[in-house]
Amino acid sequence: MAWWLRSYALLFRWALLRLRFVVPLMVLIQIVLSVGIVVGFAFLIPGVDEDPVAAQYLSTGAMAIALIAVCMAFAPSMVSQQKTQGIFDFQRSLPVPRSATLVADATTWVLVALPGLAAGMLAATLRFDLELRVSPLALPAVLLVALTCVSIGYAIAYLVPPMAAQMTTNLVLFFALMFSPINFPEERLPEWLASLHDVLPLTYMAQAIRDTLAVPAEGVSGLPFAVLGLWCLAGLATTQWVMSRRG
Amino acid sequence: MLWIHQLRKEYKPGEPANDGISLQVRPGQVLGLLGHNGAGKTTLINQVVGLLRPTAGEITLDGHDLVANPAQARRSCALMPQAHAPLDGVTPRQAVETIGRIRGAPRARARERTSELLAELGIEEWADTIGERLSGGVRRLAAFAMAAVRPGHVVMLDEPTNDVDPVRRRLLWGQVRVLAEAGYAVLLVTHNVAEAERSVDRLAIMDRGRIVAKGTPAELRERAVGELRLELLASDAASIAPKIPTAGPTQRTGRRYLMPITGATAPEALAWALRLREAGTIDEFSITPTSLEDVYVGLIASTGENGNGDGANDPRGSGVVAA
Repeated sequence: MAWWLRSYALLFRWALLRLRFVVPLMVLIQIVLSVGIVVGFAFLIPGVDEDPVAAQYLSTGAMAIALIAVCMAFAPSMVSQQKTQGIFDFQRSLPVPRSATLVADATTWVLVALPGLAAGMLAATLRFDLELRVSPLALPAVLLVALTCVSIGYAIAYLVPPMAAQMTTNLVLFFALMFSPINFPEERLPEWLASLHDVLPLTYMAQAIRDTLAVPAEGVSGLPFAVLGLWCLAGLATTQWVMSRRG
Repeated sequence: MLWIHQLRKEYKPGEPANDGISLQVRPGQVLGLLGHNGAGKTTLINQVVGLLRPTAGEITLDGHDLVANPAQARRSCALMPQAHAPLDGVTPRQAVETIGRIRGAPRARARERTSELLAELGIEEWADTIGERLSGGVRRLAAFAMAAVRPGHVVMLDEPTNDVDPVRRRLLWGQVRVLAEAGYAVLLVTHNVAEAERSVDRLAIMDRGRIVAKGTPAELRERAVGELRLELLASDAASIAPKIPTAGPTQRTGRRYLMPITGATAPEALAWALRLREAGTIDEFSITPTSLEDVYVGLIASTGENGNGDGANDPRGSGVVAA
């Protein structure tokens, strides 16, 4: 365990060192994205100011999108870049537990995502007259969503060739933004797409954040946590398998 | 001791990238692995470090099975890969020190060893410059330092001197010897036959996944036909037939002729070459000892269609007589 923690600490430092020049740009893009969703999407919805549900969806949806952008698009694209440069094999040749590498990377990405989350939240409270009822489960929800995004994003980046991985993660982001019940209620989607979202993790990411920041009358549902937990485990298992696989 | 026995690796069934490879590298020994592109050298070292699983065969280190235990392989073997090391956003000092610590060195030791290596390799000037602003050669030397900062028992270097300037190449080869003297087993992949000849203890020559020859540089050189080479540079495209007893067939590349000769016939060859130059048939000539590169190209050419004699005709050994 001491070896695992030592490896984790050093790999985390190593990841921060290598990313420190790109991180400011990523944080900036992400702040623009989450603030942009709150402000920009409001133009698309007529009467949003008189519709507390729409405002709530936009505000909490922006946070979910911010996490998805960093952990499911930026993070995997860095992995693809490492693969293209041949650095991936060097990282794999280091004498550290594979899981420590993954957790160190995930920690880095969650930290990168936090400023965007805060900015989205701030923009939402300024733009709308929001009534937030924050649950103690809010932080675990954010962490679970982030970890699930990283684990799925990494699984894609590890499994798929670099070019295809970049396109796939961009597609995921676009799909999340436009065709997922993240910024709007599921009822607005056609039935087939809504049922597809019953098995995909995107809806549950948005719901976990929404329910814990604006707790509904019936309380926080356990379902999103359970589904995200399963997706997260599947992603981690795939990533761990690809990392340890010897061709 | 690193012991590789009958190693076979097939990416596609029936097409071995490594075929029946057996090698030993002792602590304190530098083994050079020579071979053209695609000969299977990188495949071999990637199996040793546990990035690839052999199709068949054994790899052990001091009796421990590295194929069954890739985590131990990673602990015991430090790899300098052929591709760029991860230096984007970090300075050589940060990279070398961090990798040293990741490989198990205490902080103070990692720092001390990093400074020592950067100084010995002559790149202290760029120690605190981020990777993006470094030249290819400096990046390469930093990558070497990342492998040498805290090796387990084996250091594997894949084309370490690529892009490195001639002065720092010597420093790098010096550090390879220092690693060996410190008791590490060094496995070194290179194309640079002339440099390898001076710095390795033993050599293995690979061609199309197999080892076609191994031994000390001196042992391999003994396999050459004739101990000297007469090189002629013809003044025009007309063909020149040898008028002296040669020890093997003449190789011709454009206007350059390379004839293997023995020591006994050297005076005769010298006299003939001088006559040719006087007659204006040739522009210049040289008689040089047969280099390992000649042997290498000869071996590769004799085992397949890969060698065409090109590159063989550039022996840069110490000239006995040069015109």
